[in-house]
Parts: sequence; structure tokens; C-alpha cells
Amino acid sequence: MSMVNSVDIFSVRARTPVRRRRRQRIWLYIAAGALLLVVMFPFFWMLQMSFRSMDDIFGFSLIFKPTLENYGALRTGDFPKSFWNSVAASVTSTLLSLVIGVPAAYSLSRARFHMQNRIALWILATRMAPPIAFTIPFYLAYRQLNLQDTITGLVIIYLTFNLALVIWMMQTYFDAIPQTLEEAAWVDGCSVWGTFLRITLPLTAPGLAATAVLCFIYSWNDFFFALILTRTKAQTAPVAIVNFMQYEGWEWGKIAAGGTLVMLPVIIFSFLVRHYLVRGLIAGSLKE
Amino acid sequence: MSKKPKNQSKSKFTRRQVLKLGAGALAATAATPFGVPTLLGQAKPYAGTEINVSCWSGPYPKMLASYIPEFTEMTGIKVNYETPSFPIYNQRMDLELSTKGSGYDVANITFIYCARWIGAGWFTPLKPYFSDPNKTPSDWEPEDFLEGVVTPHRDTKGTLYGFPWIADAMISASARFDILKKAGFGMPDTFEEMETVLKAVHKKEGVAGFVNENHHGWTWIPYLYGFGGKVFRDPPNDLMPMMDSPEAIEAAEYYGRILREYGPSGVLSFMYDQANQFLKRGRANLITFNHAWLLQLGDPETSKVTKTVNYAMMPAGPAGRFPGVASHAWGIPLASKKKDAAWEFIKWSLSKEILKRLLIEKGYGSITRKSVINTPEFKEKNLVNGVDLAELYLKTIDVAASGYMVYRTIHVYPQIDKQVDKAIEIVTSKQMTAKEAMKQAQENSVRELKRAGVKL
Amino acid sequence: MMWFNKSSLISVEAQRKRSFLLGLLPALVVLAAITIAPAVYLFMTSLTPLDLTRQEETAGDYSRPWTNYVELGSDQRFHNSVWVQVKLSIFTVLLQLVVGLGVALLLNAPSRFLEAVRTVFLIPMVLPPIVVSIIWKVIYIPDVSPIHRLLEVFGFPIESLITNPKLALWAIAVADTWEWFPFTMLILLAALQMIPDEPLEAARIDGAGSWQLFQHIILPLIRPTIVVAALFRLIDSIKAFPLIYVLTNGGPGMVTEVTNYYAFIEAFNFSYWGYAGAISVLMVAGVFFFSWLINRMAGRSALQET
Repeated sequence: MSMVNSVDIFSVRARTPVRRRRRQRIWLYIAAGALLLVVMFPFFWMLQMSFRSMDDIFGFSLIFKPTLENYGALRTGDFPKSFWNSVAASVTSTLLSLVIGVPAAYSLSRARFHMQNRIALWILATRMAPPIAFTIPFYLAYRQLNLQDTITGLVIIYLTFNLALVIWMMQTYFDAIPQTLEEAAWVDGCSVWGTFLRITLPLTAPGLAATAVLCFIYSWNDFFFALILTRTKAQTAPVAIVNFMQYEGWEWGKIAAGGTLVMLPVIIFSFLVRHYLVRGLIAGSLKE
Repeated sequence: MSKKPKNQSKSKFTRRQVLKLGAGALAATAATPFGVPTLLGQAKPYAGTEINVSCWSGPYPKMLASYIPEFTEMTGIKVNYETPSFPIYNQRMDLELSTKGSGYDVANITFIYCARWIGAGWFTPLKPYFSDPNKTPSDWEPEDFLEGVVTPHRDTKGTLYGFPWIADAMISASARFDILKKAGFGMPDTFEEMETVLKAVHKKEGVAGFVNENHHGWTWIPYLYGFGGKVFRDPPNDLMPMMDSPEAIEAAEYYGRILREYGPSGVLSFMYDQANQFLKRGRANLITFNHAWLLQLGDPETSKVTKTVNYAMMPAGPAGRFPGVASHAWGIPLASKKKDAAWEFIKWSLSKEILKRLLIEKGYGSITRKSVINTPEFKEKNLVNGVDLAELYLKTIDVAASGYMVYRTIHVYPQIDKQVDKAIEIVTSKQMTAKEAMKQAQENSVRELKRAGVKL
Repeated sequence: MMWFNKSSLISVEAQRKRSFLLGLLPALVVLAAITIAPAVYLFMTSLTPLDLTRQEETAGDYSRPWTNYVELGSDQRFHNSVWVQVKLSIFTVLLQLVVGLGVALLLNAPSRFLEAVRTVFLIPMVLPPIVVSIIWKVIYIPDVSPIHRLLEVFGFPIESLITNPKLALWAIAVADTWEWFPFTMLILLAALQMIPDEPLEAARIDGAGSWQLFQHIILPLIRPTIVVAALFRLIDSIKAFPLIYVLTNGGPGMVTEVTNYYAFIEAFNFSYWGYAGAISVLMVAGVFFFSWLINRMAGRSALQET
């Protein structure tokens, strides 16, 4: 199963189980194309809504004069600030998770601790707990600690899912690098962490980048924690959109435009790391 | 009164501030005094202050938004203004207040939450602000507000925490009265009449007979009382809910039936703005709802039914007529760090001048100040299609003064409110009979009240 | 740093192990702080009737610690929410497996075009869930929905789905599947591509049709992956929130009110933190128990096969 981790389905070298004939190919492409249009239709619908003028926002005619007024309307008000809050919280959380998690992953990969399995189980358990189980104690604690409505507060609670992700993913990357390289360095007198920084880590650079991007995506997409733990100062973009939720056309313009802006970073980043997605999605679940 | 900024030796003005002062002075000369003469003639003492103001998206808060830049010009206070939808506002504000957070400086005291929020001590008593002549000039007249609408925002000792911006009076309206006339009917006056009318006009000309917002905890209660039921047995002392009384069951059955049989598809997901849009576009006919919204059906700029709309008092049931009346108010959360600036906002937004301008320029009819109500413009703006809504409005407020609205001043009413929402949804969507649904609502209400520490 | 000539008593191995421990320690400390401490706090809160409108009297009131749990035992709404959760989890996992597998089979061929299609299909899964909810809100409001409009134009008008108690949960399941089918698709595609050519070629030469190939060769080989994908989706299905928050608010009535949502309502509508805490504790316990059970029955054997 660990091999599934490493399969890259976005590489054109993927093999077919059955050889297909040329004529069948055409039908395959048509079917795939049709499926694409049908499945992605809701997505494209919202996208086009963001470019419609406010009084025609719900119009069904596909012929309309595109306008940027919805995006313009976002500039006043809270949305820009909330967008930057999202950036701040996601980037900080990613960095923090990497700084704490990467060394831990390396240690778990190289040293054979007897509590190895229990740690893995603990991390798995964390992932399984529903967010509300975290939100209640964190909310109450943040009241005492004055962390309500702060980016710091968000960053800390994001660690609950990001730290586990980092440890899992990076451990598999480290596992894939033969220890012989490091052992050679150790014999030469290099320290454990010196070797790590100079030899091992550069070798896992792509994996590290992929992990960082996945952390960013999970933090960016969070809605529940931000909804409960932020109010005005640290409000993130997904929550700001919900504040627009009314029925009238002009608010929906902002919702569509806001939604489009909020999803752009994650789409771009996902595209960049798509080769690593399978590993990222099920990382760490299956240990030999 | 000419307003020229005096020279301030202590402050260092940036060019921007000087320009703002100049503009502010000009604006001040153009408008009549706002009751803030303490600010005029001085540099804006609040220049650079920022306050966070939040309210649910009612007509007044939305109409006020366009005037806020003037407030900023005048006082230098920058306002971060947000108007989320009703349920989202209440949930987030309840959360914020419960943390005694200082995230908001001016917040709406929602009518069903006023006892809960005020009772828990989450708002600031306003007397030090309105009775201090340095903060508030005497011509602002805090006594000018309709007392019946102010009372919910006092605590049991009479301390005042909010000033109301709306008297939400429930009346009935028909967006397409022409259809009723064609079928030979006038505006229904009783529940029985209403159902007869609905049967006759539903789907005529593609117009659904009835529509309403899905906040049944507000819209259904008058039907509950109309059939002879009550919310609590004997508030404020005996808070045993009466959700499963035979009258309550009958009222639930009736209302669920008219929503189901005569409402448009998906009516259970309609919030107030969607219901309002439907009426304005002439897609639905009858409604029993708040005057502030229904007045907008007469607004030629946004409504298509200005020529066919008609109004009447809320229909009566066998036990009488019990139109709902509510009031929302501006208050200052206890932990706000900018209370003086917050008070400036409240003072300005509820001044006689602003209310008058809202009435005349924006068609906001649910005025809470007697002095503005007693103007010819109030009557004029409340005249739609020949119907005198001013009279309906005032009569409704009068009727409500008899005291049945006390249910919403109970601090645990929000819990019951949500149970009612669910129960009516269940009855309308035929998941249970009215009897079963109301029994469930009763059981859950009792549980919730016990959980909230109420002795039953 | 040259440790080995400092002391011959401490072996190099042990020193190295200490270094590793130092690298691991911060993570362990942080993890303990953000998982164990809150878990304890959650449990302690669930033993009180904590209500923030009466904070002084209710915080730290352990006089009747099990009240919340006892009450949950007879709370119909809670039992209903568990049942709704079970239904939703089963619907969504099955749908996502079926759709994911179907799409994976369709797109499993080397081709630039198909690779592009696969990439575009990533989008629903990486979109912020709130954006997904907004997209589907427009789709499900009959008045403004292009789908409802299309059906109307073709003569099949349908009533609102999200206010229909029989269909509301399905509506949510469909939106959830749209959001997550890329997950199962990705994993199953990877598994499909691991299948060696030879047995398939041999079977084809022997005259096996596509369906038989699927049934007897492909399916058994990808079964372990299906189980893993199902497990992951099952665990994540407990967290469904934005869709319900935006589309139905748990309604109509309580038909889409999952346990997570019920706890949310109790905590954040009325500040019943003690009660919501008890619900959360039970949820966590339930999830752990259930996954342990599944792991025992299916997971372990699947793992052994891979």
C-alpha cells in the first residue's frame, strides 16, 4: 500500500489496464469532456455570477456584459482585511507546523523509539476528533488567555491538524531516503542535525514544498474554527463571505466575487503540487 | 449658526485633517444641528477613532448605511459597519457578548434577546450618556421615544440600556389586491376569512396565495394567541411553556396548513429578505408581517406592486387580535473601549433629523420618536395606494400595549423561539402531526429551560 | 560537535538517540498541549452545567456531574442526530466510492487530455468548503437555480429539495459527493494504475469481456484501497458542517441535523457549554470506538494484503 503513496496519477506515463482502440478513444474523450462539463457546471456557474452586474446576478441568459463591479464592491468594507488575515493565519500556521513537525518527523523516521506506534495512534486519533471537540475547550481557554479574535489563536488551533499532517507526510519522505548517506556523514563526525540540514533536508525539498502547500490549503479552507474563534479583528475570508449572505442581488455579487477570490490561491497551489496529492491525502495511515 | 473650526494649539493637524475639518464645517452648516453642538466649533475630538458597529440587516440599518460617511465627516469617527443576516447576527453577537469581548462598540439589541443580554449584564447602562448635558444636549430628548418600545430595553430595575430604532409592528398586506377584488373579497379580518380568501386566490395569475419568512418564532406567535394559546403560563413568575395546549396545536395546524397549501415552493427556506423580494415582484399575495418591510411594497423604485398593494390590521383569531410588536435598539456592549464615540453614533443615528431624513428620503416608516410621528410627512410617507399605514402602525402599537408581548421580555424566550421554528417547520413539511410536533416542542422547551436554570 | 571524545562511557548511539529525542520533544509537548489538555478540559466542562449567561453559578459546579450524560440518554433530539449522522455518512461514503470509482475507470488511460480532465476534477476537493456551500445554495434555491430552471424549461419542474424532509439529506449528500469524489477518484486511480498488465491481457485473450475483467481481476486487486478510501471518507464525514450551516440549518425540522451540528447549536446559540461538551465527548468516544471496530474487522486484513 505504501506504493500507492508514490504513484503519480498526473504523470502521462500512467499505464492502461486494457489496450483501447483508436475509435474507442474518441468516444472516451467525448464522454470525459461531457462529464467534465456536467460535473464542473456548478463551479463555472458561480464563476460567471461574479462577473455579472448586480441587478442581473441571478439571470439565466449566458449572454451578458461582464463587469468587475462585484470585485470593486469588495474593496470597501471588511473583505480585504479578512483576506489578509487568511494569508497571515495560513502562512504562519504552515511555518510553525513545519518548524515543529519536520524535526519530529525526522526523529521518528531515523530513531527507533519504543513508543513509535503509540505516537502514530495518538496522531491518528487527533485527526478523527470532530472540530467541535476542540472548539469548546479552546474557546473557553482563549477567553482567559485573551486569545479571542486573534491570529495567534487561530494559528495555535490550526496546529491540531497541521502538525499531524507534517509529521506524517515528512516521515514517509524521510523513510524513502536511505540512511547510508547520513551514516557516512556521521562517521565523518557531523552532528545529527547538521547532517539533517545539509544532506537530508535538501533531498526532500519537493516533498517539503508539497507538505507546506497542503498545510496552507487546510488552514486557508478552515471555516469552523474561524467562525467561532474570531469576531472582527482576526476574521478570515471564508467567514467574511458568510456575513454577506442575504437574498438580495447586490450581496450575492459580493458573495460570488469573494468566493472566487478565496478559492484562487488554493486552486493554484493544488495545481502546483498535484503530483503529491495522493500521498498527502492518505499519508501516514498505513505503516509497515 | 456658523461653524468655523477654532484653532487648536495642542494638536498637530495633518493636511488631511484640516481638509476634513473644513469639509465637516461646510456639511454642518448645510444641515440643521444634530444635537451635537459640543462637537461643532472644536476640532473633532474623535478624529482617528474607529468604532465597530453591527446590526442585522433590517430596513433601518441598511438605509442608514448611506448616511454614515456624513457622520464620519462630522465627527472624525470611522465606522466599520456590518449588517449580516438576522440569525447570523444573533448567533455571533451572543457569542461575542458572552465572552465580554470588546470587538463591537455599537450593537443591536435584538428584541427576543434583550432580556437575555441585558439580564446577563452584557450591555452598558446609558443614563450617564443621555443625561449628561456635556454629552447630549437637551433637545435630543430621550423621552421623545415611544415608551412602549423603550421598555423592553430596560432591566427589572428600570435602568435603560438601548434606544429603539424600530417599532416592528405586524400588519397584513396583499401585494396583489386586484386578484382578491376580482374574486370578490376584501382584506381578510379573521383567520377563517383569510383561509377562505387564500383558497380562492392561490395560484391565480401564477401568484402564490401566501408567503412569510421562516422565523416562525416571530410570525406564528400572533396566531398562537389568536387561537387562545400562550407562550408561558404566567410570565414573569410562572415560566412553564404552553406549547402543547389544544389552542397551540390548533394554531400550529392552521399556520402549517396555510404555509404548505398556499405558499410558494421552498417557502420554509425563505428569510425576510427573500419573502420581501417575492412580494415586491408580485410572486406572492398575502402576508402578515412587519410594517417596516411591507411599507417598501409601495416604493416605486424597487417594487412592482405599488399599484396593487393593500394593507389591513393583522387578522384576529377566535380569541382576539394579537399583532406582534417588537423593538430593536442600539446599545453599547459592556466591554467596548470606545463608549464615548459609540454614544456619538447612537446619538446621531437616532436624532430627530436623521430619523426624519430616513422617513422622507428613504421611505423608512417605522419611526420611534413621537416628534417625528406627529409630522405631516409621517402621514404622507405612510400613505400607500390610499391606505393610511400610519394609522395601522399606531393602532397596532396601541393594541400591543395591553401586555401580551411580555413573552419576549423573558430571558429564556430565545430557546422557545427556536423550538417554535422547528415545530412549525415540522408541521408544514408534514413530518409529524401538529399534536406530535407541539408535544415535542413542549418537551424540548422544558428541557432547555431547566438547562438554563429556570425553576418550573 | 564532537561528542565521541568527550566521554567514552556514553556511546555514540545513545548520544545520537538523545539528539533525536530533542528533535521530537517540542512536537510532543505541543501536541500534548493542544490535544490532551483540551480533551481533559472538555471532559471536565461536560461535568458541569456551564452556561455563560450564568457563569458564576455554573462554572466549576460539579455537584451533579453526570446530569448532562443522563439527560442525553433521554434526549430524543440527540438520538435523532446520531441517526441522521449515520445515514449521511453511509450515503456519502457509498456515493463517493461509486462516483469516484466510475470516474477513475473512465479516466484511466494515458492521454494528455485525460490528464487535464483529472486535474480539473481536483477543484471541488480543494475549494474552501464554504465556497462549495455557496455554489450549492444557488443550485438548490428554485428561484435562482440554473438546474431548476433547466428542468422547468424541459418540462420537469421540481419542488425545492432542501425544504423537502424526504430529500433534504440526499441533497446534502449530493453536494458533499460533488465536493469529495475527487478524493476517492485520486486514490482509486492510483490503485488502478498499479494493476499489472499481464493478467488483464491474458484474460482478454481468453475472451473475457470488460465487465468480467472488472469483476474478477480489477476489483479484487483494488479492494484494499477501496477500504482505505472508505475509512478516510467515513471519518471525515463526521465533520460535515458548512453545507448544513449554509443550506439547511439542520432542517426542515431536524432531518439534516447531525450530531456535530446539534452540539454546535447547543454551544453557540445558547451557551450551553456543559451540555455541548457532553455531546462532544460522546461523539469523540463514538468515533474512536467505531474506527477501532472497523480497523479490527476490515482494515487489518486489508493492510495485510497490501
